[in-house]
Formats: sequence, C-alpha cells, structure tokens
Amino acid sequence: MSIIKKIITFRPSFTVRILTGIISMLVMLSVCTYVAISDQTALNRRDTNFRARAIEVGAKVYAEQCARCHGLNGEGIEGLGPSLAAESFVGRRTLREEADGRVTYQQVMPSKRIQDIGWVGTLESYIIAVTEAGIPIRTSNVWDVNHPPFLDRHGGPLRPDQIRDVTAFIVNWSLNPLPDDQAVLPPKPGEGLAPRPTPVPLTEAQERGKQVYLQAGCMACHAIRGVGNQGAIGPSLNKIYTVAQERIASDDYKKNIKDQPPATTPEEYILQSIIYPNAYIVPQCPQGPCPAGVMPANYKDTITPEDLERLVDYLTTLR
Amino acid sequence: MAIVGEKLVKQIRTTGLRATIAQRLDDGFTRFTAGLSWNDVRGILRGDPPPKPNPRVKPHTEGFWFHIRPSFYHEAVTTLYPTFRLGFLSAVFFMFEIITGIFLMIFYTPSPTYAYQNMIDILTNVPFGKFMRDLHRLGAEAMVIVVTLHMVRTFVTGSYKKPRQFTWFTGVVLLVITLFLSFSGYLLPWDQLAFWAVTIGTSMADAVPLIGPELNLLLRGAPDIGAGGLLRFYLLHVVLLPLLGVIFVAVHYYKVVRYGISLPPEMEPVGEDNARKVPPEKRVPFLPDILTNELMYMGVAFAIMALSVVTWYKGAPLEHHADPLVTPNHTVAPWYFYWLQGLLKVPHMIPFLPTPIAVEVDKFFANVLGLTPKVFWGVIVGPLMIGILFIIPYIDPNPSRRYGDRKVMLTLGALFAAAIIYLSFAGVPTGVPITGFGYVGGDPASEVGQEFIPDEGVGPVRALPYEDYVVGTWTVSAQPSTGNTNFDRLIRAIHDSMERRKAHPDPLGKKLSADASAVVEVKQVQENLRYIAIKINYTDETGRATQFLKSTYLHALSGYTQ
Ligand code: HEC
Ligand code: HEC
Ligand code: HEM
Repeated sequence: MSIIKKIITFRPSFTVRILTGIISMLVMLSVCTYVAISDQTALNRRDTNFRARAIEVGAKVYAEQCARCHGLNGEGIEGLGPSLAAESFVGRRTLREEADGRVTYQQVMPSKRIQDIGWVGTLESYIIAVTEAGIPIRTSNVWDVNHPPFLDRHGGPLRPDQIRDVTAFIVNWSLNPLPDDQAVLPPKPGEGLAPRPTPVPLTEAQERGKQVYLQAGCMACHAIRGVGNQGAIGPSLNKIYTVAQERIASDDYKKNIKDQPPATTPEEYILQSIIYPNAYIVPQCPQGPCPAGVMPANYKDTITPEDLERLVDYLTTLR
Repeated sequence: MAIVGEKLVKQIRTTGLRATIAQRLDDGFTRFTAGLSWNDVRGILRGDPPPKPNPRVKPHTEGFWFHIRPSFYHEAVTTLYPTFRLGFLSAVFFMFEIITGIFLMIFYTPSPTYAYQNMIDILTNVPFGKFMRDLHRLGAEAMVIVVTLHMVRTFVTGSYKKPRQFTWFTGVVLLVITLFLSFSGYLLPWDQLAFWAVTIGTSMADAVPLIGPELNLLLRGAPDIGAGGLLRFYLLHVVLLPLLGVIFVAVHYYKVVRYGISLPPEMEPVGEDNARKVPPEKRVPFLPDILTNELMYMGVAFAIMALSVVTWYKGAPLEHHADPLVTPNHTVAPWYFYWLQGLLKVPHMIPFLPTPIAVEVDKFFANVLGLTPKVFWGVIVGPLMIGILFIIPYIDPNPSRRYGDRKVMLTLGALFAAAIIYLSFAGVPTGVPITGFGYVGGDPASEVGQEFIPDEGVGPVRALPYEDYVVGTWTVSAQPSTGNTNFDRLIRAIHDSMERRKAHPDPLGKKLSADASAVVEVKQVQENLRYIAIKINYTDETGRATQFLKSTYLHALSGYTQ
C-alpha cells in the first residue's frame, strides 16, 4: 500500500527534474547520432530489399500478363511474342555488393537488341515504353498482333508501379540469360516483312470444324494463332498435329495413358484428348505443369459425333 | 536617430561601454520573456526562491504563451495523482505529431501515382526518413492511448462534474478528432493495408440511412476510393483535423485554466469546488516548478519515443501497393477501431434473444425501417457509444466526486471498458478466446495458406530466408529430409497446422478433411528468385475433391526478417 502511495504522491525535486530533463535530452541526442551514423547503410540495405520485393511483385505480374505471349520462362512463343530472357535482349549482368551495403547490377554485356533498333534510352526505359504504350505500328509479319498497351491510362490492365516492377523482373533475367539459340528471337528491324505464306484453304468440313472450336469455347483455354482468344490454361494447339505425332511416340505417353488404349495416329490422339481429356495429362502447359481435371470431360456428350469429326479434321491442319 | 544616439552616447559616457551593452541586451531579453530579466531567469533555473515582489508572474499577464497557463497550481495536483500528467502529455503528443508530420509532408505527394513510391523513397532514400515515419506512427498510437487514459482518469476522479461539464465535452471532441486523425493518416501510404482498412471504414458511411451514398461520395470523392479520396483524406489529415484540434485544445485548455485542475475528490467537501480557492501556502508557482516539471515529462516522453523506435518497435508497415482489384484476406482496421469491427459482427439487433426470434425481429426492422444488423450496430450503436461519452456529465445526477459515493457510475464505467475490450477481441479475425465470437475464417485449407503465406505481411514462408529453401516438390505428410533443417522445420509446421485443423474444428465448426494432403513446391525462377507454393488437396464441404494453392515469389535479397 505504501508503495502505491509513494507512486501516487510522487513529486520529483527540482534537481531531479533538471537532471532527468538533461538525461532525456542526452538520450535523444544519442539516438539521433546513432541514427545519423547508421542511416546510410540502413537506407542502402532497405533500398536493396525494396528492389528485391519489386522483382517478386513483377514476377507475379509477368506470369499473369506477359507469359501467354512471351513464354513462362521468357523464352518467347513463335508468332505471339519474342523472348524477353534471351541474352541478346537483356544482355548479361552480375550483382555486386558495394561496401556501403548497396547491391547493384554490373553490366558485362549490353543488350544487343537495343543497339539493333537504335533505341537511345536504357533497356529499362525501352521495356517500360513498349509495355506502357504498346507498339502502335506493325513492325513485321512475324507476329500475329501488335503489342497491346498495358498502362491503365492507355486502356490497359496495369498501373505504372506494376509496369516498373515487371520491368525489374525482366531485367533480372540478365543475371542468367537464356542462350539465344533456345529463344524465339525477334526479326532485325526491316526484316520479317515478307507476307506470311497464305495458309492452305480449309475445306468446308474443316471450316465447320473451326467454328466448332470457337463455339465450344476451346479458345478460353487454348491458343491457335489468329483464331479467337489466345487462352493460356491448356497447351497451345498451334501445331497440334505435329505435337500429337511426337506425343504418341513418347515414352511418357505410353507409360501414363490410362483407361483408354494408346492412340496410334495423330487423329486418334487428338480425338482422345478431346473426349477423354483425363486419359493422359500433358506434362507442360503455359503456366507450369498441366492441371488434371480442368479440361471439361463431357465434350463427348455436348458435341455431335459429326462435329467432333470435323473438329479433329480442322485440328489436323495445324502442323 | 539623433535622439537615440544622444541617449546611447550619454549612457556609455556615464556607465561605460560594457555595462551599456549588457544593459541593452538584458533589456531586449526582458522584452522577449515578457518581463523576466536575465538574472530572474538564472534564479529560476537555479531553483532560487522568488524575490519579492515576484517578477515571475509577469509573463502570465504580459506574454501570450504564459497567459494561457495559470500562474500557480494547487499543491495537491502537482503530485503524480490525480492528473498523472495525461492531459499535458496529450498536448505533447499532439505537438510531436505536428513536428514529425511536417517532416513527412516534405517528401509526400497525395496522388495514387506517387504516394506509394514516396513512402519507399522515405524509407530508402531520405536521411532520417524511416526514423521520422516510425516516430510519427508510434506517436499516433501513443497519442490514442494517452488521450484515452486521460479520459479514463478524468472519469474516475469525477472531474467531469460541475463546473467542468463543458471541459469534458470538448475533451470528447478531442478524442474524436484524435481518432479521425489516425484514421485519415492510415490511408496515406497507399498500400493494401491502408486501402482496404479505409475502404471498409468508409463503407460504414455508405450504410448510413438516407444520406449514406452522398456522405460516402463526399468522403471518397467518387464511388470508390481513388485519387479524389486520397486527396480528401490528405487534406483532412494535414489541414482540417489539425486545425480543429488546435482550436479545441485551446478551448479545452482555457476551460482548464479557468476552473483550475480539480483537487483529489477526498480533499473537497461534497458538492463544492475548491480548485480556485488556493491558500497562499498551498500555491506552487508555475515558474519555475510546473514548467520544469512539464519539461521533464516532455523530455522523458520524447526520449522514450526515440529509444522505442530504434529498439523494440518493428517499424510502421508498408505492404504491397494498393490494388482495388485484389482484396487481401483478413484486412483489419487499426487496433483502436477493433471494437467497432467487433460491433459489426453482432449478428442480430437484439443479441440475447433465441436465434429464430432474433431473425424475425431483424426481418421486421429491415423491412420497416431499412435497418440491417450491420447498419444498426455500425452506424447507430457505434456512434452512440461515443455519444454517451458526450452526455455523461449532463446525465450524472450525483454531485459527489468521492469514490465511495459513485459506486454505480464507476461500475458502469468499468462495464463500458470491459465491453470495449471484449468487442476489440471480437474485431480481429481470430475472434475472442474461449467464446470464439467474431471468428472469421474461410475454409480450413485456405486458412493454412493464409497462416503461412499471408496476403499481406510476412508470415513463416517469407520469413524463412531464400537460401534455406531446397528446390523440389516436397510432400508435407512425409516430413522429408530436404537437406536444410530450417526448411524441414517449416514443412513440419505446415504438417502440424494441418493436423491441428483436422483434429479440432474452428469456431465455426469447420474441420480440414481427414484425407487432406499437401505439397510444398519450390521452383527456381531466376538466378536469385524462387517460387514457393503450398498446394493442399482436400475434400470440401460438398464432398468434392478440391485443390487449394497459395504461392509467393521470394528473392534472395528481399530481407523480410531484417
Ligand atoms: C498479346 C501478346 C503479348 C502480350 C500479352 C505481351 N506481349 Fe510483349 N510483345 C508481343 C509482341 C508481338 C512483341 C513484338 C512486337 C514487335 O516487335 O512489333 C512484343 C515485344 C515486347 C517487348 C520488346 C521486345 C524486343 O525484343 O524488342 C517487350 C519489352 C515486351 N513485349 C514486354 C512485355 C511485357 C512486360 C508484357 C506483360 C506486361 C508483355 N510484353 C505482354 C506480344 C505480347
Ligand atoms: C477449361 C479449360 C479447357 C477447355 C475449355 C478446353 N481444354 Fe483442352 N486442355 C486443357 C488442359 C488443361 C489440357 C492439358 C491437360 C490434359 O491433357 O487434360 C488440355 C489438353 C488438350 C489437348 C491435348 C494437347 C496436347 O498438347 O497434347 C487437346 C487436343 C485439347 N485439349 C483440345 C481441346 C478442344 C478441342 C477443346 C474444345 C472443344 C478444349 N480442349 C477445351 C484445358 C481445356
Ligand atoms: C488532445 C486531447 C486532449 C488534450 C491535449 C487535453 C489536455 C488537458 C489538460 C492539459 C488538462 C489539465 C489536467 C490534466 O493534465 O489532467 C485537461 C483536463 C481535463 N480534460 Fe483534457 N485533454 C484532451 C482530451 C480530453 C478528453 C478525451 C477528455 C474526456 C473525454 C478530457 C477531459 C478533461 C477534463 C474533464 C479535464 C479537467 C480535469 C480536472 O480539472 O481535473 N480531455 N485536459
């Protein structure tokens, strides 16, 4: 009780007040000095941290927005978008830890692409410019579409900070860039202008098959160059005939096919993939390993046998 | 000119140059202090007894700064009890926030395009930037605590009674201003935490009957928070509310000086107020006693703030950039609004009725008056609780300030405080311990994901350093040896969390299905960037096999644990 009373009636003497005041001032001064001395390293360290976190955010933006045209690992996709991880695009850099705690990129090899097209800014500013505003004119006939604008002000889905972050992510590939021979490279300026070879005209049945493809909603998940949406959940069907040939010859297919006899022709394989999608799960999809049970398993019931035949017929033209 | 010169020359001739300069300087000094000469000030600082006649009361009549302070206090209120210096400290923190806030203003632009980057710049590029930001944030929270405690103390000592009813009233206005200052500042970093807490907060305005949409529009500047809303909150935070704060602190202080600080209740006869009838021997002069006392408390408060920021305080958070399209799981308001969030979770308007009847009552009110439980508790009861505070002095009929005479009022006060604390627990997603009231959680599998990879904040997965992850796909139940003990431990923690959720239902009665299994997938994305995913396969409530996936990227240098 008496201790409570002591606290309650606490009234410091004049000397105590002055001394406590002075000590408090000294404490504050020391803290400020401490901050002043340690601040520069701490600032640099946090700078490094926030740059690293921006790359994490950028990776997510890339997977959601860019991978469908530029490939999950930046390898590029024929006809859809060039590689963004290729050495000739990002160049080559290393990381150096400075004495003051900063971690900076050191350029070993500059971006060749930037030189080729004569861009006067940095690689970063080029990526930001292209991503924000898109590419307004057709630069070559290699690509199906012009680059879409991504900045919200230009009607795109991304905010400026997201574009900065995805740029940081792309530039970070320069630490370990993809060798050019594993990447889909863009044509040099002035090249790739030759008109595309006119596709073989589709027969009436195949034309009908294409309509089935569109009406059944396949393009929500699959991509066929120039046809409907470019879905990125299931594998691209751009060259499904060639792919089907490779699949039926592969060990993975022979080992993992279940409930159904293995297909022996590409046509059989394609039909099987449509009506029994779970008989064999394709290993690689645009966003990583293919998920099982995602492709609807009821096309056998919802598409008539004739239409199925026409659909397969159409898909076999994609080689 | 000639005349001044003549006088000066004359003075120098008679007293000498040095004495003249000294006299002139002292003259200026005396004018500056509004009545105290250099020697008077020295006497004060040395603790000398006042000379007679006492020059130390002059500043109180002559000067602006001291005339707003009384020239003496009653001895009985200069001890720690009864004031605990909490009113003064409220004013100190108000000042503290203005100083640190002006520093932050220099580097801040109230625009969605720049605000977040400005915050990063303050943390990574501005000397003393993080220090000032942390001081400002910690100071704001301390101010809420101190102001609340000050209110509690004036309630407990019965100081709100006649003649101080209006002092109390302006005090409650100051409490509301303090809360709104904190709330409006919360949005400014423009990160996910800020954006969603304020979106939820302002959605209450939207629920106000009749004028809701207009009020919401006024506050946000658009149907959703965006550039307009940020600018409005900024203006509220740096102009309107501080201005109102200054005005009301002035009125409050004036009332305090006018009536004097109330004496400890046991020292006064019941119903009398003797605060201003101070016998000469009980007077403690403001100069130097009270002033040095206050300066000491102020110094200690500042020193504690500064020390806290460089020691235990983990820093004001800065989460991901605000994104109106992505609602993070479990967004919470700042802690001093947990009680309001808890209140919003009361499911029925009359909580103690049996549910079927309560539902009917709710329906009746919803159909007749357009009142849903959310509107009722959030828009009516919440503000009403503050409203009760306003009228306490006007409805308390008891003239006595003595504790023994005020058992009813003190009990009601304690109940009120208990209710606020209980509701505060209910306001957080984990709900109240034991009763489970207020628990919100999705399906147990998603709660595992949220536990280890929270949408915002760090969480165990990001806290484990990049180097500790081993690339591969790891089955959690197998408790594999990955080659890194820390990573093993993380996998075990995920396993334990899942087993716990299989064995024990959450407060909503949901369990993780017994067949649930998980894998942790670690992929190398770039040289110093990994992708980490937790995939849980389980059977959902409808009996369907489902997969839940939660993932994040982790960079070698992102430093979440530093
Ligand atoms: C619809 C497909 C598509 C999407 C989605 C897409 N791009 Fe592209 N991108 C292209 C095409 C096509 C080109 C080549 C355009 C040209 O050269 O005319 C290209 C070129 C680029 C280039 C210039 C490459 C070079 O070598 O000059 C950059 C940088 C780029 N894209 C960044 C991005 C980023 C970042 C995203 C995601 C936010 C993205 N792109 C999303 C199709 C796409
Ligand atoms: C909901 C998304 C979705 C829809 C809609 C969808 N698929 Fe698929 N599809 C997938 C996925 C995922 C895979 C890979 C997994 C698998 O093999 O089941 C796939 C695989 C395939 C394959 C095998 C590809 C290969 O590379 O071996 C073919 C062929 C195919 N789908 C055709 C179609 C056709 C034709 C339609 C429309 C009738 C369609 N899909 C609709 C998701 C979808
Ligand atoms: C920014 C907020 C506030 C400031 C700066 C402030 C300042 C002060 C100061 C300096 C005093 C002198 C006595 C003391 O230090 O205790 C005082 C007294 C008082 N305050 Fe406050 N106050 C604030 C908020 C409040 C609140 C929220 C309430 C109650 C709801 C309140 C009610 C009172 C009352 C009733 C007194 C008279 C106490 C007495 O005479 O013993 N004040 N205030």
